[in-house]
Amino acid sequence: MKLFAQHGFGEGEKINEGLRDASISGVVFGPKDIAPDRLPERLSELRTSFPTASVLFDPQYYASLLGTNPNIRLGNLEDYPYFRLSRRSQMESSERVGEALRECLAYQVGLPLNGIIAPNILISRSFDSVEAVIAKNFLRQSGSVFRVVGDARPVYATLAVSQQALLDPSELQSFLNDITLLDSPPNGFYLLIATSSSEARTELFNADVIAAWLLLNYTLKLAGFEVINGYSDRLSPFLGAVGGDVGCTGWFNTLRTFSLERFAPSGTGGRLPIQRYLSKRLLNRITHIELDSLRNLFPELVNGLQHDSDYTNGEPPRNREVLQSWEAVAGLLKEMTNSDTDGNLVRCELAVTNAASIYTRLAAAGIRLDARSNSEHLEPIREGIQIFKELAEL
Amino acid sequence: MKLGSIAPGEVQMGGLDFVAYSEEFLAGEDLRKLIQANARPSEVELRQLLTCLLKAIRELWSLPGRFIHRDIKPDNGMRLPDLSRPFVLLDLGIAFSVFDTPLTFDAQNRMPPGTFRYLAPEMLQLDFRETLDFRSDVYAAGLTVFEFAAGQHPLARNREDLLTTLSRIAKETPKALKDFRPDLAPWFCQTVDRMLKKLPALRPANLDAIIARLEENA
Repeated sequence: MKLFAQHGFGEGEKINEGLRDASISGVVFGPKDIAPDRLPERLSELRTSFPTASVLFDPQYYASLLGTNPNIRLGNLEDYPYFRLSRRSQMESSERVGEALRECLAYQVGLPLNGIIAPNILISRSFDSVEAVIAKNFLRQSGSVFRVVGDARPVYATLAVSQQALLDPSELQSFLNDITLLDSPPNGFYLLIATSSSEARTELFNADVIAAWLLLNYTLKLAGFEVINGYSDRLSPFLGAVGGDVGCTGWFNTLRTFSLERFAPSGTGGRLPIQRYLSKRLLNRITHIELDSLRNLFPELVNGLQHDSDYTNGEPPRNREVLQSWEAVAGLLKEMTNSDTDGNLVRCELAVTNAASIYTRLAAAGIRLDARSNSEHLEPIREGIQIFKELAEL
Repeated sequence: MKLGSIAPGEVQMGGLDFVAYSEEFLAGEDLRKLIQANARPSEVELRQLLTCLLKAIRELWSLPGRFIHRDIKPDNGMRLPDLSRPFVLLDLGIAFSVFDTPLTFDAQNRMPPGTFRYLAPEMLQLDFRETLDFRSDVYAAGLTVFEFAAGQHPLARNREDLLTTLSRIAKETPKALKDFRPDLAPWFCQTVDRMLKKLPALRPANLDAIIARLEENA
């Protein structure tokens, strides 16, 4: 599995440095945070400096149904020629879906991208809903419309689903039966799992949601599709273990967990978040303060990788945290996704068991961690793998 | 399957209309008899059988009406002493088109038509008419190859009642082919096992790719 940067506000030199480090091998750009006149220039820069990097563009069309919110915050997205706010009832028309696809794909065809991500809306509640019918219409037409556009690059259909919709496995299975047998299939899927907020860790770290996300990767890969997981962050290694081809993550929480909340008005004020260190062995991020106080007692928390040095003198510079994160996720990908599914799942389960054992030792030593640094992610992952195995008949 | 010398035509008998035709005479043995005779087919033969079945499924699905055979089983497979046509799939009697004809229903047993030991799990769902596709035939083809290879059905037992068998089809994980035939190539056994998954989305659907691999290794 490869790791791509999930582009967002405040790119700076982060993506260039990640590509230079070879911890990431591509980028998914997001139009909200880059102006349409700057995008071609930036893509050309990347093409010149990093010719082997894969560059994609998420059209963020799922924001088009947010028009009822008067305070919607679209950033640069509304300046892109293919984007327009719509009502759901308009999208119920197959012609409108075809038109949206043509406009969006034609725009991207003119850019130096490695593949084209087709637009779609978010299935926000259930696979048995009007939104799901519209989304399926987008999926059905993505391949055929792109072939009319006549471009040799791969096309990826966006499949954006809320965690709530994933909670019913029988609906998910019916949906999978449908989308694995499309008449004019795309080359792959750009998969997004949405939570109500990028801070809603418990929504994502839910055994049923993790199992469903794994099943989507496994089934789509078996059916011959490439699977790109947007905003998958530290779940990427698990998704890669069952067939996912790409995972993505970025430098803010809003680029690590997918939520339409990022198009909502932001709260005013607030302090900068505490910088964190992604420990491969914990499968979690701890604060740099926790790292400082634990590194001698529990040296296994340290990854032993290049960007550890950014954390040796207390809080690292703000632009280094993401480089450390990419490096750690890339390290986990190497360890957990280099065998067949059965072998990878054994490694995944072992990684969870080992992490739980370290947390137990931390607790035994009387160490209390910050709420986001604790072990609450482990049980949902462990149970999610078990549920996945049942659903995938493994 | 080919028609014989009498082309399809309408005939009246006893005041009723019939379509009459003859079928090609095939001098071979059906797979059921071979299984009962404890035949232990070679991997080459099994690959040929799977290739023939998948090609038939692909051919039916490629027709404009999207046809499904619906009754693939050892009784409807015949081995011929002809290298150019080693196996033949018979009896399209209950084949149907997804788009053109409604599915028939066995009102007496309240069951979809077919042979219950070879029904794909999705055929047991109430809404199967809406969702059926060629992957149900892929499932039955997997069962047929498994039974021919192993000498026994991976789920059903002899002399067990209908409901028990249907319950096994719906819920029980089939045995793995390699447990019966460790001499066969692992990829071949895995392919057959995958054809028997309960969820159609988990079955191999790229028939061209499987056929190519089967022929590559022939």
